[in-house]
Formats: sequence, C-alpha cells, structure tokens
Amino acid sequence: MAEALPSSPLAPAADIAVHVRGVDKTFGRGEAAVQALKGVHFDARQGELLMIVGPSGCGKTTLLSVIAGTLEFDTGEVDVFGSALHDLPPSEITAFRRRNIGFIFQSFNLVPTLNALENVSIPLLINGLGRKAAESRSCQMLEKVGLAGRERDTPLQLSGGQQQRVAIARALVHEPRLVICDEPTSALDRDNGRRVMELMREVARAPGRCVIVVTHDNRIFKFADRMTEMDDGRVARVHDTHETYDGSHH
Amino acid sequence: MYRLALKMLFADRGKYVMLLSGLVFATLLMTQQAGVFVGILEWTKGNLKNMRAPIWVVDPKVEQVNEVKALRDTDVTRVRSVPGVAWAVPMYWGILQARLIDGTFKPVQLVGLDNATMVGRPSRMVAGRIEDLRLPNAVVIDELAVERLSRGRPHPIGIGDIFEMNDKEARIVGVCRTEKSFFGYPYIFATYDQALQFAPKVRKMLSYILVAPKEGRTIEEVAAHIRSTTGLMAYSEEHFGISTVRWFFRNTGIPTSFGMTIALGFIVGVAVAGQTFYAFILENLRHFGALKAMGASDGLLTRLVLLQAFAVGAIGYGIGLGVTVLIGSLFLRKGMPPFSLPWFIPVATLGAILFICAIAAAFGIRKIRQLEPAIVFRG
Ligand SMILES: Nc1ncnc2c1ncn2[C@@H]1O[C@H](COP(=O)(O)OP(=O)(O)O)[C@@H](O)[C@H]1O
Ligand SMILES: [Mg+2]
Repeated sequence: MAEALPSSPLAPAADIAVHVRGVDKTFGRGEAAVQALKGVHFDARQGELLMIVGPSGCGKTTLLSVIAGTLEFDTGEVDVFGSALHDLPPSEITAFRRRNIGFIFQSFNLVPTLNALENVSIPLLINGLGRKAAESRSCQMLEKVGLAGRERDTPLQLSGGQQQRVAIARALVHEPRLVICDEPTSALDRDNGRRVMELMREVARAPGRCVIVVTHDNRIFKFADRMTEMDDGRVARVHDTHETYDGSHH
Repeated sequence: MYRLALKMLFADRGKYVMLLSGLVFATLLMTQQAGVFVGILEWTKGNLKNMRAPIWVVDPKVEQVNEVKALRDTDVTRVRSVPGVAWAVPMYWGILQARLIDGTFKPVQLVGLDNATMVGRPSRMVAGRIEDLRLPNAVVIDELAVERLSRGRPHPIGIGDIFEMNDKEARIVGVCRTEKSFFGYPYIFATYDQALQFAPKVRKMLSYILVAPKEGRTIEEVAAHIRSTTGLMAYSEEHFGISTVRWFFRNTGIPTSFGMTIALGFIVGVAVAGQTFYAFILENLRHFGALKAMGASDGLLTRLVLLQAFAVGAIGYGIGLGVTVLIGSLFLRKGMPPFSLPWFIPVATLGAILFICAIAAAFGIRKIRQLEPAIVFRG
C-alpha cells in the first residue's frame, strides 16, 4: 500500500540505514540549469533491499550518487549509517565511501586489462590490505558468486552475466554496509538478472546491511522489499511491497 | 594497487609500445647526438692529447690548437730566459701531402719534435723505437697512417718502408698509437730538423713552443710570466683545451646544429610520450573514476599515475641508453663518427626524460583530480 510523503524531519530511527532530508541538486546554471532533485526525502532501512523506480530522467541516478557520497548536493541532509555526509569534508567522504559503500554499475566498469581476481581485490587494496590477504579474500568472494576457477580470466573472456558477478564480488568483498546498484540487470538476460538479484537479496538480509537498487527492469521488481517511486526530482510514493507498484504510472 | 596500476599500463600493449618508443627515441636522439657532439669536441683537442706538454706557447692571436701562426726561432730563446721556465723546446705541426706508392696523395699531419729531448713524442709505441727518429729521413707513423698509406702495397706499410712527402723520401722506423684528431688525418712524427726538411719552406716554421715550469713553480704562474715578459700567448694544457672548445662554440655552427637536434629529441619525447600518456589516462578515465568512487583518494591516484609515468620513463630511458651505448661502441670501433659519453650526458638525459614524464603525468593527474566520481553512474 502506498504511503504519502513527506514524513516528519525527525532524527533517523535505529534501524534506518540511509536518511535523506530536503535534498536539492541543480546541475548547471542560468538557462541551462536542471534541477535534478527537488527537496527529496528518502529512507532506507537496515536489512532491506530497496528499489528506486521512476521514469527516465526523474533523478534516480542523481539521488543514488548523493547517497553514495560521489556527488555534492546543494542543500539538505544525508545520513548514511550514522555518517552525516552534509557535514563531512571531501577527504572524509572519500574515506567513508572506501569503507562503507559497495558499487555496482550498469556497465560493470571492470578494468579490462586486469583479471577477475585483480578487479575484485581493488577495494581491499584501496583500503590498505596487503596483496596476499586481498587475493585470498577475493578468491573466496568469487567462489561465492559462482566464479570459482575463473579468477585469472579477464573481463573480455567472461560473459556479460559473469562480468556482472565479478562486479558484485568487487562490490561486496570489503563487506560494505551499503551496496549501491544502478541498473544492475539492464545489460543482462532474464536468468543472469535473476541470479544477480538473488545474490543481492541475500546480501541485504545480512544484519546491519542495506542494498539500494535503481532500476526500471520490471522483471526484477519482485526482489524488492520496498520500492521508492520517484517523479520529476521528488519521491512520489513509497511502496511497502513490490506488489503495489506495476510501473503503469508512466 | 601499485602493481595493478603498472599492469593497467603494460597490458595496454598499443599505448605502452607507443609510449616506450617515444621515450626510447627521445633518449636515443638526445644521448647519441650529445655523444657525437662531445666526441667532436674531444677530437678538436687531438693535438693536445697526442703531443703532451705542461705549457703551450703560441702567437697571441691563436685561440685554438688546430690553428697555427708561426713564431720566430728566436722566440724559443726568449721563452727560455723567462724565470721559472725549466725547459722550452720548439715543435713543428703542419698538414702535408704524402705520396703513396700508386701515385695518389693523402693528407697527413707532420709533427716535428725537438731533436734532443723529443718532447711531445707519442706516448704509445706499437713497433720500433722513438730514438730511431734521429736516423736520416726517419719518421714514426701512427696506426691510422698504416691504414691510409698502405694503398697499392701488397703488405701493410711498416718499419723499413719508404714513402714520399714533398718529393722527399721518408723512412718508417716505428709505428705509434694516437688519439683521433679534428682533421682526421694520420700523424707522422719526425725530429724538428727533419720535419723542416719535409715541409715546404716558408720564412717562419715554428708552430708551438712547449714549456715546462721549474720545480716548485706552478704551471699557471709560469704561463702568466711568459705572457707578460714575451708578449706571446702561453696556455696550460687544460686551458688550451678549454680555449679550443670555446673557439669551436663561437666560430662554428656545430654546437647550434647539435643543440637543435637534441632539442628536437626532447620535443619529440614530450609530444609523443606526453600525448600518448594523456590518451592512456583519457581512455582509462572511467576506471580512474570507478577507483575514485570506490574511495581511492586523490593522493593515491596521483601516486598511481606518477608511478605509471615514471616506470615507463625509466624503462624507455634504459632501453634508449642501452641502444646508444651499443651504437656508440660501434662508432668507436669503426672510429667514425666521433663519440664520447661522459657521465653528465646520461644524467642530463635522465633528467629530461623524467621531466617529460612529469609533464605527461601532470596533465593526467589534473584531469583525474577534476573528475567527479559520480560519472561512473553515467552510461
Ligand atoms: N552531470 C549532469 N549535468 C547536467 N545535467 C544532469 C547531469 N546529471 C544528470 N543531469 C540531469 O538531471 C536529471 C536527472 O538525471 P538522472 O538522475 O540521471 O535521472 P535518471 O537516473 O532517473 O534517469 C536529468 O534531467 C539529467 O539530464
Ligand atoms: Mg539513471
């Protein structure tokens, strides 16, 4: 059932993973200015897989970037697992991302000259882990996503579904509390999309974690615990179950 | 992460090879041309290396050792009478034509050594004895002369053989080794009196006066003394060498033309390596953006890019220098063209290459620092 927003600007409850209040973001200036986010209120809870849906250009990716700490916003407050991003200097936001965020991109973004194992170990290396430790943890992670034996393959030697699973392993290997996915299945066929989402749901269930997925792939809506529907730079509705959203509003 | 950064670059075969070739080529051009240039400058000092003396006295207008304005015979006595002079002896040096057995002529450099002391004699005899120069019509020739004057003979020319200079017979009594000189002609040594017999007669025949200071006197002090009392020019060996090199800088286009080639090497290096490296950064911008999104700090990314640039710079420099040394040793074995690689050439080239890499890296780093990590979410 759809609940109307905005909710009251209270401090985040204990089980809240991401807490966004009144965020504005405008790209460009003057004539060319595009207001991508218009006073967005948004919450994601620990232990859930939350989907952000809505028509193309409504600001989903922009909101995701703000939550991930990769994009500066103009006004408002963003709280992610207790870190107040609106108060942190850039260097600390970088450190925050390094420790707390796992990224999964639409176009996988694997480094083509590095093999699967090396790609997966990058977040650990950036976090200062030694090569040996990083590789052994990455190996386990690849096994978990069903890619045991493919450690030395480069992205080009892998199928699209396998590449995205490498990307998932990379997003999860440093055990981030928040995993951010932008259109993770749009380049995948139905079966691979399903496998990816099953993995993501398992991650979201782990205690103290949260997975946010931006998508307009209706084949995967059923994996959502809740859905946030955006329209024209605002959160229009929040659905407590995927069943009330059918994507027919646009 | 540093290892992965290097792998990112090395595995990008096309760019890596291009980058490396640019740097190898720049290194090669700079060191090799500088080596030939220094080699030429060394050749200009040939006379000073082949005829050794602490002090060289010449006409006041003479600025370099390959140029002769003859002195009067009495000048030797005048120099001898300068206080602090231990000895002063005459030397003849001139270019003559040697007539080969097949009737052709080859230019040679004839050196006349003081009959009694033979000051300025060649330091390394390969065959025969220098003292035999006192025999009638005797000459000692260098190994280059053996090569050049043997034409038309069944065997290489050697001790006991005869050739002609100025229609006068010269009999070889020894073979010596000499350093290459600017003119590139062989050296023929004779006594001073004998040399004057070979040389065409002119009013003044004395080329240099070679001098040594008395014990306890410094070379500079005695040279200064000679200058002030005789009005002649007196150079220490080292000073004459410097003056010779300086003369070539001022009066020939050699330094400019080499300077331009060396500058060209540098520019090519900057252009090729800089552009290719920048293209590599641009092509991988997405991945640098992803690293940035994943929490790599600007500091880390800067270090990664610097490592990539300097690693390829070091490898390119190493290969370039290796090839230069290889080519250089080939030159030296053939004796042509001149080549010399004193330590400051590789060091300066290394500096230039590192500078090129730093510039290339700087542009890439600037681009990466400006990068919004959010770009990784854009298709
Ligand atoms: N870097 C940018 N510069 C200018 N405009 C942008 C930029 N990023 C996004 N926009 C604009 O902001 C709006 C929201 O974009 P986006 O968040 O990508 O939407 P969605 O992901 O829902 O398709 C769009 O109108 C888009 O054109
Ligand atoms: Mg989008």
